[in-house]
This record gives sequence, structure tokens and C-alpha cells, in this order.
Amino acid sequence: MNPQPRIGFACSYTPLALIDAAGFSPYRLLPTRHWGDPTQHRVPEISGALLHDNVCPHVLRILDRALAGDFPPLAGVVLMNSCDAMRRLADAWTATRPADALLVLDLPSAPTPRLAAYFRGELERLLDFLAACGGRRPTGDAMAAAIQRYQDLASGLELLRDRARRGVLRGGWATIQETVNASVAGPVEEALAAVDALLVEPETAAEKMRGTPIYLTGNVLPDPNAFALFAECGARIVGEDLCTGSRQHAFLEFDGEGDALAQFARAWLSRPPCARTFDAGAPGGAADAIAAAAKACGARGVVAHVMKFCDPYLGRLPVIADGLRRAGLPLLTITGDCTNGALGQFRTRLEAFAEMLEAQL
Amino acid sequence: MMRAYFDSLASHLSGQIAAHPAQPQARRRFNLEIARLGQRLFSATDTVAWCGVPVPFDLLNAMDVNSCFGEFVGAMMASAGAAPAMLRSAEDAGWFTDSCAYHRAIAGAAIQGVMPAPHFLVGATTPCSGGLAALENLARHFRKDLFVLHFPYDCGERGARDLAGQLEEMTAFVAAHTGRPLDPLRLRAAVEKGNDARAAMIDVYRLAARKPSPLRSHDLKDFGIVMPLFFGTDAAVDVARAYVDELSARAAAPANPSAERLRLLWIQNRVQFKNALTQIMEDEYHAKVVVDELNDVNWAPIDPDEPFLGMARRMLAIPLHGSIARRVEHLGRLAKEYAIDGAIHPCHWGCRQGTGAKGLIQQGLRDLGVPMLGLEVDCVDPRNFSEGQLRTRLEAFFEMLDRQQQ
Repeated sequence: MNPQPRIGFACSYTPLALIDAAGFSPYRLLPTRHWGDPTQHRVPEISGALLHDNVCPHVLRILDRALAGDFPPLAGVVLMNSCDAMRRLADAWTATRPADALLVLDLPSAPTPRLAAYFRGELERLLDFLAACGGRRPTGDAMAAAIQRYQDLASGLELLRDRARRGVLRGGWATIQETVNASVAGPVEEALAAVDALLVEPETAAEKMRGTPIYLTGNVLPDPNAFALFAECGARIVGEDLCTGSRQHAFLEFDGEGDALAQFARAWLSRPPCARTFDAGAPGGAADAIAAAAKACGARGVVAHVMKFCDPYLGRLPVIADGLRRAGLPLLTITGDCTNGALGQFRTRLEAFAEMLEAQL
Repeated sequence: MMRAYFDSLASHLSGQIAAHPAQPQARRRFNLEIARLGQRLFSATDTVAWCGVPVPFDLLNAMDVNSCFGEFVGAMMASAGAAPAMLRSAEDAGWFTDSCAYHRAIAGAAIQGVMPAPHFLVGATTPCSGGLAALENLARHFRKDLFVLHFPYDCGERGARDLAGQLEEMTAFVAAHTGRPLDPLRLRAAVEKGNDARAAMIDVYRLAARKPSPLRSHDLKDFGIVMPLFFGTDAAVDVARAYVDELSARAAAPANPSAERLRLLWIQNRVQFKNALTQIMEDEYHAKVVVDELNDVNWAPIDPDEPFLGMARRMLAIPLHGSIARRVEHLGRLAKEYAIDGAIHPCHWGCRQGTGAKGLIQQGLRDLGVPMLGLEVDCVDPRNFSEGQLRTRLEAFFEMLDRQQQ
């Protein structure tokens, strides 16, 4: 039972702490609620007719669920102006569910001072929208407390990732993904309690470190079963950079200058970027960042799991591939369509990739 | 390769224009300016910037920067028949065929060494995510600096004022890279010339909207999206006025009403490689494209005393920015002004901006009483082009429109 009204969102750039501070429970609009089992209920896939079948399947499946009434009651929906696909989702949602309260929140592509100031204005607009949805206008203290809750959540999840890396977390990366998924389906307090409960569990006996260490990058991969599949294929995840994973709750660095919203705006735009947000001063910097992160956690290869038709990633994968090649890190790219069936089709490729990395030793 | 292509094109067009000095030859003059721009871009001596589509080229022209949007090069490659080789090169380097072929073509051209290194790049978050990613790739490839204009989703005054501030920052960025600060008098002159071109373009469109239209389907192909490249220069004014002269003369001549049985609106981009579609439409079905979505003046004249704000407002007015509801509203207005019978949407594979909204645009136009045909086609990549299939679809669409008229 969730006593708090929900605000739906679909992008990890959505400022959850402000939604929480306004008295709502942020609810991530995921492409499915039935992981792994293709026999489970699936909603009709009709969104392609509204948009086009060449649109990001993450967006199409969310739209299908919205059209089928497959989401719980939402007091409002916040969609980030992050990419063409998200804009199309907002267009289609508005056209087909005009009675829903929906806000498109602008998201600058770079953390320059001017754009951070602009984004601060956008955060004000978000607070106005939340108030119009029946939320409270948070005080400075309430906002600070909410931000701290999400900082604690990010820190706790990072501790769990460290355990998963060392092979001493019950259930490994699948447990973390389940925890992240739960954290965006209910109040943050419950997520914090779940993380705390996992952290007080004694570390499991260290598993024998089987499998080739790989770093996982990309965007949408919320299915906990996917992580089990990686392990079955001989690929041991040692770090990840997914929008439904570590980027969902990233620890923010505050500079202490200006008012709380201005600080939050700058910190938010300085989070670990996805492909659509980048530093114009370092074009293609994503390649260097991924290579550095992969090397830092001891990966011997990188798997990029990206949504089919995701332009921000499709447009940057060649540069990422080139950067990883220069860094001596082989890359396997998997394009997904938000079904576990699609991932299963890549089992052979994953196995071959892991074996190839092993053979290089 | 491209320099030779533009040299040959410019020479050929100059000769033809000189041979018929009494005729306006608007399309040839337009193409000649494209060729001249191509010559400058590929000169290896002029200051060059690769940009996003809605960047203010009048501002860059006032700063002596030869600039154009990357998609222009993709279109030129397609037009010259060189796109397949560039696309294959990009695909060999890891580009997915699901991505936009305009962007894949320029990536391939850069890899092949066909695309000249710019002095800097100016990207924009509109009209699409893929375009900005392509420019970021080019910046990385050429190891050149990139400036990004973030287009506020808010198309109102708040967004315009923020974008105007970004334009001031962009001006400083350009000056730092060229060593030439902006001369306010040159900017004023560029703005005034841009306003003159705007006024002439309004006259062009007013003539095109006549019934029957003095236009042929290919006359204003890519006109609205390419003309801004010449804003701020005499070339834009001259080309637009040549069109006014030519269309006025045609409008004054006796019309053949049967040559225009169906009036069409073309959405977004034309097919850039050589093909017979519009010829077939005109010759066999008397169906004429009288307006393209981007052939419109939907911005106010720019106040020379507030050039950045005026440019920002113009940039936000581009129909490809903002919500699809806004876009459909614009299409609906064009359909009414031009007394359109039907619309054709070439669903460029890989375009999440236009093709991604196909269903919503179709529904929106249907609500306004405008039937739309979606053609599944790649506007740059001819490798899967099937004229026969497209002809069948066009035929069925035109038959349906004919029945509606009866």
C-alpha cells in the first residue's frame, strides 16, 4: 500500500528529490512489469501507429502501458526534454490522455553557468507543477531533507555495488537491480530501509570469482534477470553505467554557492552523463569516461546495451568504440527492445565475447 | 572530390545564366549560390564552421565565417550520387543503419577525408538528437572546438531571451576562434539584408499559394531550409527576388488548370538523390507540390537594435522545434493557405523527429480534413529505393484524393 500520491517519470534525469519534497512518491514508468516471463500479461503494442515503429522501444512500450491503463493512478507525469523519443512520448501522451497533468521539463545538454541558471528556472517550474498537482511547496529544510535522503540512497547503493563487485552480495547485481527498481516504485524511505536491510546482512562467503570481468554501459536495462544472464554467459559484471542502474541514483556534488535550487541545478547537470548530455569542451568525452571507469574497476571488456533506435547512443557508439579500442578494451554492442527475449537472442554473442576475452589472457 | 563537383556545378550554372540574361532563372541562381557556398566550404582557405540546422547563419556571415549545417553536405553527397560510398564507410566504422543517413553520410565523408576540417563547430539541440551527436562526432574527429546552443523547449519570451544570451556567448566563441570580433555595423547590415530577404520570400510564397500555382514541384525544393545559409548577404535577397520575378511572370501567363488537379503539401525533407517521383506526380497524375513544410516565413522582422533577441525568436519559430501539436498547427495553417488536397510525408528512415511523429501528424492533419500519405523512404540513401513500390502507393493516394474531389 502506497499512501503517497505518485508522480510518473521516465528518465533518470528527473529530479526525484524535489518530487519527494513536494509530498509525492516518484514512480518510474518502466516498459514492462513482468520480467523474464514472456507468457505473462503483455499490453497491446499499438504505439507504433501513433508514432512510428522506428522510435525507441523504451518509449513505445511505456506509451503502450499508458494507453492500456497499465500504470497505477498518477497525480501527474514529468517527462524530461532529453531526446527526440522523450519529446515524442510527451506529444503522444498529451494527444491520447489530455486529462493527465503532464510537464515537459527542459534539460540543458551541458552544465554551463548560463544553462545551469536556466535549469534552475525549470526546477521552479517543476515545483509549480507539483503544487498544481496537489503537492506542497517545500520549504528549504524539506528540500534539503529530501535531497539528503536521495544522497543516502545513492551512497547505500554504491556500497551494495562494491559488495557485488567483490562477490559477497546475496543475489549479486540482480539484487541491486531489484532494489533500484523498488526504489522508483515507492517512497524513498522504503528504499532506504531496503538498502539498510541488505547492508546489515553479513557478507556472503566470497564466491569464486568466475567469469570475465566486464563493464556494462548503456541506457535502459531494468530487468534483474538480465544480470543473471550475463553471469550465465561467463561475463562477470564489475561496474555499470546504465540509466536504470547507477545513473538512476547518482551521488551529487554541491558547490555551496547561491540558493538551494541553484546549487541543485548545477549539481544535477554535473551528474555522470548519459549520451545525450555532454561537455561541449570535450567532444566525445563519453568514450574516455567509459574507458576510465571500465579500467578503474578492472574490466577487461565493455558491453554496451542500448535501446534500438536510440539516437543519442547510436550517434556516439562509433566514438565510444574507437575510444575503447585505443584504450585496449574490446566492446560488444547489444541493441535491445525492452524484452528479455531480445536479450536472450544475444546469449551466443555474450558467451563468445566472454570466451574471446578469456582467450586473450 | 566535392570541390571539383562544386566548381563544375558553378561553372555550368554561370554559363547557363549568362546565356539567358533576360530570364530570371531563379532555380539556377539558387543552385549557383549553393555551388558557390560549396566552393567556399571546400576551399581549404576560408574560415569554415559546421553547424546545426537552425544556427543563425546571418550572424556567422557577418563574422566572415562560411558555415552550413552538416545535413547540407549529406544532401549534396546524395545529389551528386556519392552518398552510398560515404554511408558504407560510416557503417564500416560502426555506424548503425538505424541511424539517420544524413548524419551517417557526413560521418563517412569525414572518415574518407572528403569533408574539410572546420575551424570550429556550432551544434544545436534542435531539430534532433542525432544531429547534435553527429556534430559532436565531427568535433572529436577533427579535434576542433564545439559550441552548443540549447534550444529551450519553451518557445515563448523566456526561452527567446535565454537563447539570445546564448547567442552572445556564441559570438564571443566565434570571435575567439577567428580572431575577428563582431563589427556591430556589419551585424546591422546583415540583419537588414536578412529582413529584405524575408520580405521577398513572403512574396515568393504568396505567389506560390495562388490557384493555380505558378510553381512546379521542384522549384522550391529545399528552398526554406537552405535560404537561411545566405541570410545577411546580398545573395539571399537576389535569389528571392529572382523567384518573385519568375513566378510573377508565370502567374501573368495563361494558366492550364488541368495541369494542377491536385495540390500537395510536402512534409519536412525532399528525397535528395536523383529520382523521378515528383516528375511522375506531375506528368501522370497532375499532382503538384505547391508548398513544403519548411517553406514559410513564420518569424517577425528582426530589429537591428536587438539582433540577438530577434534571431532567437526566429530560431524558436522553426516548425521542427517544440511539440508536435505546434507542428501540426503550422501544417494546418499551410494546408489552408495553399488550399491543399493532400499531404505527403516521406518518412525518412532514421529520423526520430519527423518520422517518429508520423502517426500523430497523420491524425492531426486528418482532424483538419487533410489526408496524408506516409512514404517509407530514406531521403539520402538510395540503396533501398524502390520507385515501383512508391509509385503504387502514390497512385492509390491520388486515386483516393480524386474520389474525394468528385
